[in-house]
Amino acid sequence: MKLEDSAAYAAKCFRGEPPSCAFACPFHMDIRSFLDKAAKGRWGAAYKILRDATVFPGIVAALCDQPCRQFCQRTVLGDAAIALRDVEAACLRYAKDRKPQAYVIPPKDKRIAVIGAGPAGLSCALNLAQKKYQVTVFDRESGWGGGLRSHPRFAEFDEELALQFSAVDLEFRFDSEVKSLDEVADFDAVYVATGADGESFGLLESWDKNLLTTSNPRVFMGGEICGVTLMEGIAQGITASKVIEVFLQTGKTTRPHGDHDYAEGCGRYLDHEGEVSVPLVVPSGPEGYTEEEARAEAARCLQCDCDKCLAGCEMLRRFHKDPQRIAREVYTDMVVNPPFSTRQVTREIYSCNICGYCKSVCPVDVDIGALSQFSRTARMSAGIHPAALHDFWLREMDFNTSEGAFASAPKGRETCKYAFYPGCQLGAANPEYVLRSYDFLRDTYDSGIILGCCGAPAYWAGDQARLRANVEATRRRWSEMGEPTLVFACATCESLFHLFLPEIPRVSLYELLAASDKISPAQPYPAAVVFDPCAARDDHGMESGVRELAGKAGVTLDELTEKNHCCGHGGHIRIANPSLYNEITRNRAEASDRPYIVYCVNCREVFASRSKECAHILDLVFDLPVTPRVPTLQEKRDNSVKVKRELMKQIQDIDFQPERHEWDSLRLIISDDLQKEMDQKLISEADLKEAIWRAETYCDKFYDEKDGMSMCSLIKPVITYWVQYRETAPNTYEVCSAYYHRMRLGQKE
Amino acid sequence: MAVDSEARTWKCAKCNVELVPKKAVLEYLGHTVSHEVPACPKCGKTMICQELAEGRMSEVEQQLEDK
Ligand code: SF4
Ligand code: SF4
Ligand SMILES: [Zn+2]
Repeated sequence: MKLEDSAAYAAKCFRGEPPSCAFACPFHMDIRSFLDKAAKGRWGAAYKILRDATVFPGIVAALCDQPCRQFCQRTVLGDAAIALRDVEAACLRYAKDRKPQAYVIPPKDKRIAVIGAGPAGLSCALNLAQKKYQVTVFDRESGWGGGLRSHPRFAEFDEELALQFSAVDLEFRFDSEVKSLDEVADFDAVYVATGADGESFGLLESWDKNLLTTSNPRVFMGGEICGVTLMEGIAQGITASKVIEVFLQTGKTTRPHGDHDYAEGCGRYLDHEGEVSVPLVVPSGPEGYTEEEARAEAARCLQCDCDKCLAGCEMLRRFHKDPQRIAREVYTDMVVNPPFSTRQVTREIYSCNICGYCKSVCPVDVDIGALSQFSRTARMSAGIHPAALHDFWLREMDFNTSEGAFASAPKGRETCKYAFYPGCQLGAANPEYVLRSYDFLRDTYDSGIILGCCGAPAYWAGDQARLRANVEATRRRWSEMGEPTLVFACATCESLFHLFLPEIPRVSLYELLAASDKISPAQPYPAAVVFDPCAARDDHGMESGVRELAGKAGVTLDELTEKNHCCGHGGHIRIANPSLYNEITRNRAEASDRPYIVYCVNCREVFASRSKECAHILDLVFDLPVTPRVPTLQEKRDNSVKVKRELMKQIQDIDFQPERHEWDSLRLIISDDLQKEMDQKLISEADLKEAIWRAETYCDKFYDEKDGMSMCSLIKPVITYWVQYRETAPNTYEVCSAYYHRMRLGQKE
Repeated sequence: MAVDSEARTWKCAKCNVELVPKKAVLEYLGHTVSHEVPACPKCGKTMICQELAEGRMSEVEQQLEDK
């Protein structure tokens, strides 16, 4: 992996970049932070930002033409732009100590001549003098100020200049007009800032407005002589001081490192959804804002910065990193040597629902989910993935692609035009969902069936080999069946087929059901909202089919404000981050007071286990009892087997016998509480049976003579399960506890 | 459900002897840590109780995953 590979995922993200106002500001001042400090009344901190950016805040706060105001995003809400200059002026009044501090750095021997003591020359001179360069300022006038000398407020500006120069040493040569550059030939660098009608020494032609260089490598130029405004001139003086410093240190002329590129224009506008209009604060007296007024005006700043994805995603909020940083860390985590690694994003990457919500709200389409997917895949192929986090679902997938799988054209036929692809979870949740839907599809569309797994567990685990093998097997089965159109009930399945088997034509079950006049859905609730799964985001057929069916049932539908938000199941994050999973599922359950109508069984399971009233759309369609119960892991397995058995019987007249294990005949007694705990920890009864059977058969266990309590373990394949149990009757065991760990016991002591 | 493993006297069923505390090496994601756990003095079979598995071990597992 190269840094560019991962960085590309978030390259377009502009979070943390300067806002539109700062792009427009001649000084590119961090206006956002300035106003933030000002709003908090932290005038000292605000002043520091203002002073560092503008050098002569007393002049800037009085004379700046405020180009920022034209780009203030307050105006998006119909409000007046922030009165920045007035807040700046207030800042000068309320900042307690404006005295500049002398820099404690050693003096340097390089000498710089600044020609012109106007604001443009002085800003350069002051900055270089602060860095302890030997600076000499020449001016033909008898004092400093240049064009400002004739300004009615010059006395004030004079005072400001004196204040700002009070902590530096430099030489002023007034009444000395430099007529030729020969006069400053013994200086290491020269800055020409001779003002509107000043001398340009024939260098104007060669002037570079970015680097402020001229054809003479030692001579730099800026300010009104170059046709810029007074403010731009001061700003150029500041830039010139940095470019000159780099030149003196390295002999090269470049922009100093870390300078943001403002050339591309005025930043980006956000939609400021949810922000309210606040009118401009008008000063109550002629002196300008009182402290309170200034703070209130500063507080109108929207602190424009994109946080759309963070605002909408619990995972991003919890880890609170900028998308570009996550992308960088995905790379750095890969290149470090695992035993010494300082992996920083593992938990984030495996806590992502890979739901694409971020992309759907991002103004520039950044998809952190895709980045997580990319990282998981890279880790899996490098063998540095935490296997235990996805093991459970991969084992489920193995079952659903082997013992649970079945494919056939309708009875007595080799091929078909349609085939139902219910996905692995639909029948596991409720066999009727699959059996009744199949009845409908068989009768209406002469449909076949494919029971299998779309590969989501492998996809989310980053297991490309497994995913590819499954895709190939699916493609083969589909083509043997005469390349039918597949009918999907699960949006995740459909989206994976869209990604990996795009040649297979797809249609949603709900669309077909909605189009049929034989279907008259029952009404479980008079009013509800449809909870659209994340995977159905761009699947309008599914979304509208479900709404039509609910409408036919007479349910009054409301829409959620945030649609297609992942219920929590996506990306299989439950083991990787149980507390985040909990937070997400709670937030989704609480997104509306109304009951939900869902069309993803995983959503259903999430809500049912949170006791949120919800019905699957197929409950309506086939008038099935709406129950809040979630089947146990074992029941889900049994349900899947039942679906396969019934379909095989019906279509091929074959009695399907699932694989038998010696431990199947064990009877386990598990209390409701423990069962709940096991389902939550994803511990299945079958694994416990196997553990106990092995322990009993090979006498490989611990026991307590007192009451015959036993304890044994089973490793499957990366997780070690433990069970404490007691035999209560022949072949019958009461389970007292069940738990697991991911670490493995090593060999020696 | 809490397990009263502390109050129990566990024996290895194969060797029929009581377990004794022993340092065991635990491996995960290429890292190893050692911890004292009950083990059979004869065959060396080790027991991990629920408290350890879901407490300290689970913490270390997460730290190593994050590492
Ligand atoms: S939505 Fe997120 S990724 Fe997109 S620009 Fe905003 S902060 Fe960056
Ligand atoms: S894909 Fe979903 S869970 Fe992942 S970062 Fe984006 S919104 Fe968050
Ligand atoms: Zn033993």
